[in-house]
Formats: sequence, C-alpha cells, structure tokens
Amino acid sequence: MSRAISTLWAITIIVIIIIAIGAGIWWWYASQQGGKQGGGQKVKIVFASTQLNPPEEQAFIKSLLQDFTKETGIEVDFVAISYDQLTTRLQSEEQSGKVTIDLIGDLHGGLDYFASKGWLTDLSNFPSKYGALSGRTFPKVLEDYSKLHGIKAYIPWMTATYVMVVNHKAYQYLPSGLTPDDVKKGTSKWTYDAFLKWAENLKNQTGSPKVGFPDGPHGLFVRFLHGFLYPSFTGYQAKAFNSTDAVKMWQYLKELWKYVVPQSTTYDEMADPLLKEEVWVAWDHTARIKNAIEQKPDQFDVVPVPAGPKGRGFILVIAGLAIPKNAPHPDAAWKLIEFLTRPEIQVKVLQNTGFFPTVKEATGKIPSGPLKVLAQGVAAQQSASDAVVALIPSLGAKGGDFKNIYITAFNKIVLNNEDIKKTLDQLYPQLIDLFKSQGLEVP
Amino acid sequence: MTRKSGESIPLSIKISNYVPYLLLLPTLAYMLFFIGYPLVEGVALAFFDEQGHFTWANVNYLLYDPGSLFWDALKYTILLAAVIIPIQVSVAFGLALLFNAKFPGKNLALYTVILPLTISDVAAGLIWYVMLGQYGFFNKLLMDLGVISHPIIFFGIKNMEFLAIVMTEVWRATAIVFVIIFAGLQMISHEYYEAAEVFGATTWQRFRYIIFPLLLPSLQAALIIRTLFAFQIFGVVWTLAGRDIPVLAGEAYYAQTTLLRPGVAALYALIIAALSVSVGAIYIKFFKAKYLEAGM
Amino acid sequence: MSNEKILTSRGDIIRYYTYRIILAGLVIIAVVWIALPFIMTILYALADPAQYYDPHVIIPTSYTLKHVNQLLILGAYQATINSVIVALITIGFSFLIGLPAGYAFARYRFRGKDSLKLFIVALRMFPMMVIAVPLLVLYFKLGLADTLVGIGLAHTSMALPFVILITSSIIAGVRVDYEEAAMVFGLSRIGAFFRVTLPLALPGLTAAAIFTFIMSWNEVFIAAVLSFQNRTLPAFILNLIAGSTDFIKFAGAFIMVIPALIFVFIAGKYLVRMWGITLK
Repeated sequence: MSRAISTLWAITIIVIIIIAIGAGIWWWYASQQGGKQGGGQKVKIVFASTQLNPPEEQAFIKSLLQDFTKETGIEVDFVAISYDQLTTRLQSEEQSGKVTIDLIGDLHGGLDYFASKGWLTDLSNFPSKYGALSGRTFPKVLEDYSKLHGIKAYIPWMTATYVMVVNHKAYQYLPSGLTPDDVKKGTSKWTYDAFLKWAENLKNQTGSPKVGFPDGPHGLFVRFLHGFLYPSFTGYQAKAFNSTDAVKMWQYLKELWKYVVPQSTTYDEMADPLLKEEVWVAWDHTARIKNAIEQKPDQFDVVPVPAGPKGRGFILVIAGLAIPKNAPHPDAAWKLIEFLTRPEIQVKVLQNTGFFPTVKEATGKIPSGPLKVLAQGVAAQQSASDAVVALIPSLGAKGGDFKNIYITAFNKIVLNNEDIKKTLDQLYPQLIDLFKSQGLEVP
Repeated sequence: MTRKSGESIPLSIKISNYVPYLLLLPTLAYMLFFIGYPLVEGVALAFFDEQGHFTWANVNYLLYDPGSLFWDALKYTILLAAVIIPIQVSVAFGLALLFNAKFPGKNLALYTVILPLTISDVAAGLIWYVMLGQYGFFNKLLMDLGVISHPIIFFGIKNMEFLAIVMTEVWRATAIVFVIIFAGLQMISHEYYEAAEVFGATTWQRFRYIIFPLLLPSLQAALIIRTLFAFQIFGVVWTLAGRDIPVLAGEAYYAQTTLLRPGVAALYALIIAALSVSVGAIYIKFFKAKYLEAGM
Repeated sequence: MSNEKILTSRGDIIRYYTYRIILAGLVIIAVVWIALPFIMTILYALADPAQYYDPHVIIPTSYTLKHVNQLLILGAYQATINSVIVALITIGFSFLIGLPAGYAFARYRFRGKDSLKLFIVALRMFPMMVIAVPLLVLYFKLGLADTLVGIGLAHTSMALPFVILITSSIIAGVRVDYEEAAMVFGLSRIGAFFRVTLPLALPGLTAAAIFTFIMSWNEVFIAAVLSFQNRTLPAFILNLIAGSTDFIKFAGAFIMVIPALIFVFIAGKYLVRMWGITLK
C-alpha cells in the first residue's frame, strides 16, 4: 500500500520538477525575446536611483513619474538601488557593453567615482543638442561641483544637509545662559561647549544619557567628524587633521561621549531612537530624521548645529542626475532631467521627501506642515553668519579610505582610549596621500 | 546502520569503477562553472592589481593598516563559534530528546521549534535588536513587572552585545542542528530500547550505551555544518553590534561596500574559506568512519 | 518510556507525574522562546506607529494594515511570484544534478570519495558576496543577468551541496537489500532505483525539497546583486526598507515571514515526520 502512495509521490515530484524546468526555460526565452522587442515600440527608460528609496518616497516619485509619462509618452521604470549594488551593476554593464540604465540619481561622491571610471556621458553639449533647461538657475557652487574629471558629469537634482533634532522635553535641562531660542536660531551662544554642558545636565538630571549619534554600520556619523567637528574646531576638514586644534577637538569629543547614549554605535538612523525617546537630542541627515518629525510634529524641533571656535561647520549634500556612457535613450533621459529640475516639481519633491531644491526659482516657497519645522531648521543653519560650508570631498574610489581614516581615529581615540596625538600622526600621512593621489587640494 | 552501507560493496564491485564518477560529473561541472570560475576571479582580485601584476598590497593592508580590524575579527569569529556551537548542540540535543517523548500537541510544538529555519539572519538580527532595545519588549515587560527599575542596555557595550549575538544565534540556528539530530534519533530502532529494557538498563545507561553512540553520526554531521557556517557569521552581528564586534565576513562586507577595496574583501573571503576547509578536513579525519557511513 | 509501564506503587505514580510536569514545562519554555519573536514581528508589523513608539505600551492594541499594504502596492506581489519561480527552478536543477551525486555517495565506495565530498562542501564555504560580482559579469556574457533563471542557477549552486548531503543520507537509509532483491527479480540498477529506492526515499526527498525552497526563499545577497528589475522578495524588501523606520522594516519582515510560516505548518509534517518514516 505504501508503495502505491510512494509511486504517486514520485510521479508528482517528477511532474513538478519538469514543470519547474520547463517554466524556467520558457521564462528565459520569453525574457530574451521581450528584450529584443522593446526597441520598436514605446520608449521605456530605466531610472536607477540611490535616493528616494524608502517606501513613502518611492510611492511619491513613482506617481510623479506618471505625470511625466502622461506629458511625454515616455515610460519610466524607477529602480531603487543601494550605492554598492549600483556600482556593481554599472561596472558590469559598462564592462560588457550592454548598458540598460538610462539615468542615474546618486550623490555627488558616487557620481564622482563613476565619472573617474569613465562611466558617465559628458552633458555639456546636451542643452544645445536636446533642448535647454530654461527658466531655472543653479547656484554657482552646484554648477562648479557638477563638473568632474573634465566633463559636465551631472545635473544637480536635490540637496540635503545634516541638522540636530531636539525633543521639547530636553529644553528644561539647558545650561544657564542658553535659551531655547538661542538653540533654535543658532545664535553665537549655541556652541559646542554649551552643547557639552547640556548633554551633561541631561545625563545627570534625568539619570541616563539623552544625546545620540548615528554611529551604526550604516550610520552617517563619520560626516559629523569630518564635516562638522573638524571645520568648527580647526577650520578645515582634513588639512589640520593632527594640529593642536584637532587634539583639542578630540579631547572635547571624548568628554562629550561620556554623556552620549552608548547604543549610538548601533544606530543607523535617528528617527527611531528619537521616537522611542531613547534619545532626546540627536544629529543626523535631514532625510533620516524626517519620519520622526512627521510622526510627532509637536514633539520635536529641528535646530542648527552648534558653533565651534572656528565657526559653524556643516556639510551640504548634493544629489545629481547623470547619464551612463552608451545609455540606450539619452534623449528621453534628458527630457526626464528637464522635468525633474522644474521649480514646481522641485517644490513637490521638498514637500514629499524632505530633499531641498537645487534651482533658485524653487526656494522661497516654504511648504506648510511638519516640513516647515525641517525647512526652518535648515534655513537657520544655512543663514547663520558664522557658517563654514563643507562639501564631501570628491575622492572617487578612495572615498572609502577617507571615511575609514576618520572612523579609525574615532574608534581608537574615543572608544579605545588611545593616545590622541599619536593616533592622528599615524593616520595623517595616509589622509594627505589620498588627496595627492587624486591630484586634489587638501580641504 | 553502520553495517548496511558495508553490504553494498559486493554489489558495487560488479559495477564498473567509473560509474560513481559519472554520477558526480554534472555536480562537479556545475559547481566549477558557477562557483569555481567566479572564485578564481575573486582570488585574482586579492593578489593582483588592476594592471595584472602580483601584489602584496591587500595582504599588507590586512595586517598592517591602522584601520584594519583583522586580528580582532579573527578573534571574535572564533570566539563566537566556540561559545555558540556548544550551546546550540546541547540545546538541540536536549530538544531532540524532549521531542522523542509522546505528549499532546507534539506536532504543533515541533513545527514551532523548526520555525527559525524559515528566517534569514538579517531579519533575525532586526527582530532581536528591537526586542532587546532600551525600550524594547523585554525591558518594557521586566520594568512593568517590577523586576528591574532601569532598562538593561545591550547595545554599545561589547560584553552585552556579545551576549545578544549569542542569544540571537542560538535562537536562529539551533533549528538546523535540531532537525539533523532529531532525524538521527528517529533512526534508532525500538528494538534497541526493548533489548535495553529486558536487561534492566537505567535511563543513564540507555543514553550512554544506546542513544549516544547511535546518534554520533548525526551529531557530527550537524556539528560540521554548523561550524562551517559559523565562520560566515555576519547578518546577526552586523545588525546587533555593527563593527563593535568585528567578524571576518563583516569585515569583508565593509571592505567591499564602504572601503571600496574589493581585493581586501576577496582576501577576507579566502581566509574564511581556508579556515572552513581546514576545520572541515580535521573533522572528517577525526570522525571518518562513523561520519561517512551516516551518509552525511 | 515511563508511560508504557504499568504503574504499581505510589512512588511510581509520583515519579510519572513529576516527569510529565517537567516535560510539559520544558516544551512550553522551548515553544514560547522560539515563537515569541515571530509573534512580536507580526504584532509590530501591524501596530499603529503611535503605540509602537509609546514607551509604556508593551503589547499594542490598535492595528493597521497600512504599512503592509504600502509595500504590497509597491511591488511585493510580483516579487513574491518571482521568488516562488526562482525557488522552483532551484529545486528542479539542484535535484536533477544533485540526486545522482547523492546516490553515488550513498551506494558506492570509490577512490577520492572523502576529498570530493569535502571539495563540494568547501566550494559552498566561500562567502557569496565576493563571488557575486564576477558572477554578474559572467551572467552579462551569457545573457542571464537580471533573469529569474539566472538567480535560480546561482541558488542551485548554493543549495547543491546541501541537496547532495541530504539525499545521500536519505538514500543510505533505504536498505540496499530491497534494491538487490529487485535486481534479482530482473530489474536493471536504474529500474531498481526508480521502482524501489526512489519511492521509499520520497518522503525524505520531499523534506529536502522543502528545505531547498526555504534556502532559496530567504537568500538575499546573490538575488540583490543579480536582479535589478526582476527582484525576488528578499531583494525587493532589502532595497525598500534601507533607511526606513522600524514599522516599515517589520512590515517587510511580515511579508517575508508569513508565507514561510504557512509553508512550515502545511508541509512541516514532511519536514519532520517524514525523516522518521524514511529512515526506520
């Protein structure tokens, strides 16, 4: 009896296997042919982006791109992709010569790497070839940064920055002489020393530390080191890496870290710790704290970063749109670039994603709602009289080493309590070599 | 069980000697094509620069760069394996003995215990990271019950992170050990138990002289599989402790994605493979007879 | 064993009940310990964020399908179908290729057996993240990049060593006497395999197939690198939840876990019990 059942089983399994293999082969042929047919009919372009990847933002950009399709008849496949996957993908496509990506949306640093590898199309003749981007002006700093390795590598798409978020509960522990208004407006009293006192008060008076940083494996804490602390304390991101000012900066950070939530080394983004109230005062990228503001707009303020002895250092993040070399539809991709840089579209992007416009015509219109909180904080930071603007250096493939030097310094000095000067001196030559090998001035 | 495979010799002698190789050929060809070839390319990355010249640059980076966490990673990888595997094997062994008894709702309990087989390491890490958080499920529960007055902090403190990793790994990967050992236990014929009963063996004697020796092949198979995977531990560590607790596979990932040094990543991968192969070889040498005849 | 004995003295009865209570206690501890994180995943995926973030709420009471729906609308349906196709392809190929090898290891003794076995397992021990890039370059040359067959083939190479080890143990568990008897009655070795060994080994092989399915279903790294538009469920979710808040992450975990849970409760019978039947 059991033999009979087993035979039935045997037949079932064999049938399943045959169907699976058959389906697989059929699918493969179907996809091969599908690829061949695609050319003649409606144009469909692939837009691979490392930005706007979270679900809400993806839902928004996809509906926005439908407006574009209605207007132009060009279909857009928005592919959310992480930076390392995009790199792998683009490398394989450019190496094999079969390029499928039409448009790349990525950060300045990533596009710089792609340009250094020769994977991007020079866009300098596109306005004359496919139509000018009229009615919009890009600030000079953005124009300058988008020219990389001898080509116009990308069109500035969105900007973002890093700010601090304060839970209203934290204000009652402010050190004497510092008012909530000083913090919100970023006055000269809102300094790193005042921040340290505040962090100390928070820990001593509430019983546990309340200041947090995103120092997890995918966190952006390294930007705080080279783009915020270093410019604020030494005036430079890298030039004064092992100066006496830098030693003072690291001493400061060691002191501050006593009042920082220990879980910081595992935080990838600060929205969750803020919402769970593990952290009351946090620093992070605007996009990564946006969710907290949206969940509880009445609970949080977005405030400028503190100022150091050399000013208020902060990073401006630029996302750009680039066309890969040998991309199948450069004309259609350019039309999409034109669409995405329209002032009214840029305002929509700000309202829905928290990324700030790159064209001057779009600024000025501040959206209402929780984003107003965010926009106010960013505006206060950018308009601070003591601002020291830093851009993430364009080191291409060496960008990883650059970050690693600061991370290593932090791990050794702050977490492992090693000698400050010795550690910095050991790392300094490597840092300078990075810039020299790329023929860049040390920032 | 051990005898049965031996009986196949007279049969197979009749068959030409090359048949087993022929049966293995598709597998070998497949593996060489889909893993061997990319692997050779990977090895080339570790020892050759972009111009195709031999280079020690990646080895030097691994050993001497102040930013390299190689020795820590090696230490923690081995340490984690040494702590986790014995716990997993004993828990799985205990569970297998437990489920050998009859009780109502046994099937439901059994399915529940094998549930972690269906979950990936990153997902397991995420769930435990949230549950063990400062205001996670456990801290909220214990505080609500009045057991603790302040939340227990697991993350950012190395020893506690280590503990969290061990807990999560035991939760996640004990199921695979359990399934193999439990299958082995089911293989033991009831005749043996009956014989033991006739001779009046105590529970301990039954365990020591029947269950344990007959279970040894399954135990060893489970041990090998778990040990080899332990050297690849990554997802759980990465979500729970980031680089506070560096491990070899985590450093390979870091080198590949953040450092943008694929050569260093390939070197880490080679070291993991070398470690796995040598430990695998040692296991096979030691357990040869019983292990092979269990078919694993 | 105790419950099979005839209980005679009071001492025996007490011992029997103590044993039952300890047994029940241990089973309950094991089940709760394993099940709790799964239950919390489901609760958190459906919890209202306001309650999820409330430090005083241990178990949320207000639920919403909003986040799960959002993920489904963004393409999780198609990704689920892709994942099932990839898993079936993986099962098909790995059994087609792995079953003969498993049979060879179970039924023959030959030179280099140990080394070959170790070699096959050792290939699996090379972390996938490093071979993914060269594999993708290879796939572009073969026209397999971003196809489900391509992912299935890569998953096959990942699952193959397991399939070989498991099938060889299952076949070894089928008594060779039966096969020999069938051959005495005039069947060829291949005939004996298909008519005798395979039917007897089937429940175990089914369990192995389920295990292969789950391996493929959960694999994320290769799938994420090799697929681009035709993503499998884990690759799709990985990209979607990067940088998201907890409740979105849990919604992703929910979509991943639910089908696997249903699968285990339907097919778990084979995954656990069938091993016993095969191997007795």
